[in-house]
Amino acid sequence: MRQLVNWFRRKQMDRDLDRELQYHLDRRITDLKNSGLPAQEARKRAMQELGGIVQTQEEVRDIWLRWWLTDFLYDFRFSLRSFLRTPSFTITALLSLTLGIGATTAIYSLVDQIVLHALPVREPERLVLFDWDGDWVGNGFGSWNLMPYPVCRDLDQQKQFFEDVFCRALTPVNLSIGGDTSPVTAEIVSGNYFPVLGVGAAVGQVITSDDDHAPNAVTVISYDFWRTHLSGASDVVGRKLLVNGHPLTIIGVAASTFRGIDVGEVPVLWIPASMSTAVVPGLNDLLDRRTFWMQVLGRLNPGMTRQRAESGLQPWFKAMLQEDMGRPGFPVITAERRQEYLNSSLTLTSAPQGHSPLRRQLSDPLWMLFAATAVLLGLVCLNVSGLFLARASTRVREIATRLALGASSGRLTRQLLAESLLIALAGGLLGIALAPLGVRVLIAFIPRGISANALHAGIDSRLLLFALLVTVIAGIVSGLAPAFQSGQCSLASSLRERGGTAFGRVRLRKIIVTAQIALALTLVVGAGLFVRTFDALITKGPGFVTSSLVSFGIDAMRGGYSNAEGEKMMAHVEDAIHRSPMIQKSAIARNPLLTGGSWNNQMTIFADQRIVTDRLVHLNAVTPGFFETLGIKLLAGRNFDDHDVSPPGRPGWRSAIVSAGFVKRYLAGRNPLGTRICLDRRPDAKPTMEIVGVMSDFSYRGLRDDTEQAYFPFYEGEHPFGTFYVRVRGNPEPALESLRAIVRSAAPTLPMTDFRTLDEQVHRSLNAERMLATLSGSFSTIALLLSLVGLYGVMSFVATQRTHEIGIRLALGARRWSTIWLVLRDGLVMILSGICIGLPIVLALGRLVESQLFQVKSWDPAVIAIAILALSLAGLGATLLPAHRASGVNATDALRVD
Amino acid sequence: MPPSRFPIPQGTLDMLILQIVSLEPVHGYGIALRLEQISRSVVQVNQGSLYPALHRLEQRGWLKAKWKQSETGREAKFYSLTAAGRLQLTEERNSWARLAGAVQLIFDEGSGS
Repeated sequence: MRQLVNWFRRKQMDRDLDRELQYHLDRRITDLKNSGLPAQEARKRAMQELGGIVQTQEEVRDIWLRWWLTDFLYDFRFSLRSFLRTPSFTITALLSLTLGIGATTAIYSLVDQIVLHALPVREPERLVLFDWDGDWVGNGFGSWNLMPYPVCRDLDQQKQFFEDVFCRALTPVNLSIGGDTSPVTAEIVSGNYFPVLGVGAAVGQVITSDDDHAPNAVTVISYDFWRTHLSGASDVVGRKLLVNGHPLTIIGVAASTFRGIDVGEVPVLWIPASMSTAVVPGLNDLLDRRTFWMQVLGRLNPGMTRQRAESGLQPWFKAMLQEDMGRPGFPVITAERRQEYLNSSLTLTSAPQGHSPLRRQLSDPLWMLFAATAVLLGLVCLNVSGLFLARASTRVREIATRLALGASSGRLTRQLLAESLLIALAGGLLGIALAPLGVRVLIAFIPRGISANALHAGIDSRLLLFALLVTVIAGIVSGLAPAFQSGQCSLASSLRERGGTAFGRVRLRKIIVTAQIALALTLVVGAGLFVRTFDALITKGPGFVTSSLVSFGIDAMRGGYSNAEGEKMMAHVEDAIHRSPMIQKSAIARNPLLTGGSWNNQMTIFADQRIVTDRLVHLNAVTPGFFETLGIKLLAGRNFDDHDVSPPGRPGWRSAIVSAGFVKRYLAGRNPLGTRICLDRRPDAKPTMEIVGVMSDFSYRGLRDDTEQAYFPFYEGEHPFGTFYVRVRGNPEPALESLRAIVRSAAPTLPMTDFRTLDEQVHRSLNAERMLATLSGSFSTIALLLSLVGLYGVMSFVATQRTHEIGIRLALGARRWSTIWLVLRDGLVMILSGICIGLPIVLALGRLVESQLFQVKSWDPAVIAIAILALSLAGLGATLLPAHRASGVNATDALRVD
Repeated sequence: MPPSRFPIPQGTLDMLILQIVSLEPVHGYGIALRLEQISRSVVQVNQGSLYPALHRLEQRGWLKAKWKQSETGREAKFYSLTAAGRLQLTEERNSWARLAGAVQLIFDEGSGS
């Protein structure tokens, strides 16, 4: 350690050397003067004798450095040799560290990519994201932070706060290029999107504000798409492609590092907002202030803070709300709702990472996993510490000898730290090498469509830095206890110890094992909670039979067809499917199930009194065979039939089927059938529909869903899009291809989106839960094993130490079980105190995971009891074995020992 | 410098320093004086190599140093032997004696024939 300290204390050492040499010179000069030399001469002579001050200083410094290096190399070689001498110790320590560091690095890679990493744009820290907090009085499509386009234009005028404000929206489109049509994601952007982000073009040019003024049929394609689908053609600018049937001219390729502002969904092309009415189905007026569909982001002026901008914007925002209410086309609403509307406010959040629904979905689970790996890594370090201590106790003689030969205890401490750092470094390197594999495993939990282009398993410099930091910390933490121990080692006590009966050493090892058990308990309880959550969701299921059920989406609008043409094609596809012998039943739903999204609204129920639903009711429109196809039970009333659809020319619904949950919440004790309802919450709403049936509850948005639902008949005359649900005969996998062929021959130009079995859809909707359950399960298994190994090690040691004592007791007539108990008691104390320390931690951390749980509380007694039981039993096993062995000792043998 | 003095043999300086320090804690200048005294007109010790040697011995753990008041009242760096240094000195003294004895034997044999 001294040389390491030397390294940092060089200034001090230099000063000391100066003082030392000065002292020599001064004394020599005085002596020479006293012997009669003139002062000048004495000085010259003294300097000469010393061979020059500077040279001497340099020489001494060289010695320090050389010694530091050789010492370091010596430590290194010594560590290496001692590792090679104890291969089982080395391999165990190395593997634990590899595992701990590798797992932490892998999880951190995803945390970094999804949650932390700032966009590769100019000064991302100045970006903010707007959100409308309150009642919109408008229609939204899309998810999170929705705003109308004109508000973005207005905000862009607020130059006292923002350099610029831009907006964007992701939309699925059908992209045709050279006769091939495929569904891809496009990002609709305002003209200043690229300039504000500071993103340039790799080829050609990007969209600019000039493209805002009038519809300009241009597009910028992504670098990846250019390389993979256009083989990086240099003459790409000027080529045309079809987006939803509309021809767009490619004006450029975006910079290679830029993948949009949503880490979860990477657009293939960017289209100016001025073109959105052409390419976004259902959007009729870009300037409509009641259509919320885009995310608005701004770049703060230099020196402007988010808080100041937010409060500074409120007066303008309130004025805009007032003005909006006076605009023609603003819906007629009650005074109460007007007030709600006026109470809306504008919030700003810092958005250096852009906007990402995937981040919202995964950041909590990822942080939880990261915390779990941190706990696991801590446990690994404790384990390595324990191993070092165990090894140290077998090296007592070596250490005593080295102390006797004059090694300082500091020198020994440094040696031990060097050893733990060295082994952590080796484990870290292995861990880093294995991390990409781990990241790939993690990415496999995320839907392929997202992961394919958005996430990577490579090691970048940030990750490397993180891994090295973790490695060094792990090395120091692992070496801390052994170093502390050796620091307390004195020559006398080491020599006095015979055969290694160091009680202090055992106490430290016991503390370490106790801490391990506490940490293991938190991980085991966490895993129990996540597994039960996953299990509960799987057991609950979606509420309909998923086997041999297949779904796919079709959107004729995106094929560039008119409504009438689109309807014809949908009907054609439906017919073709019905005719196929391999298909049992099929139906169409307006919105797909289990994707996280829904169409929803509040409703008014005209029972014996007027009831406005206090929650959003989730809505869907379906063809008559829908409930039958999915196997959803009709509890009362009847199914839809052809009469439920309003006559042509007067579109609208006349009948509805509601869920059992809906009846329970709003119509308990009343006969729901015949009750009139409407899709409106205004006081002047008229009853337009009648409940004709009640269906059993099933999952709409996801398996956790327990909201009320209302279904309407799917009628013609709306936009021709929907999701087909097809029940095939037998195994769905082989049916997929023939189904695809049927659709292709019926409508060759309509691509099918999200074509998959319902089992797969359920599987996908549980990605986060599965990831949490699987990984926390594996982590807790490892944690349990590590702490058992630690416990077993200490108990074996304790048992060996007490062999002598046990021999005496046996010789004096003690029963065997009482000697077992003697050792067992020690183990039990460790297990129980570990559990006692772990429980409060479990209770404290439980709150943090509550949001991810389903049908289980964070303090679920059963889970905690089972975890404690498992830990205690396994711990007891690890204790019993050495205890039993010790008690089996022959009294005479034991007494002869030593 | 008188021609009769020959340069000190490689490696013996360390031994001499250890020997001097073994008597009592002493600072660098004191060692220089002692060296001059005991080796007067026999061996030539370059004072320039004294301090590197002292630091080398200190780094090796044979000497330890402490700042203390010297006889002149000024603070000086006093060196003393560590346990390892003492062992080292014994060892060097023994091997020196063996070497010197062996060399003497060879010379004796040469003159005897």
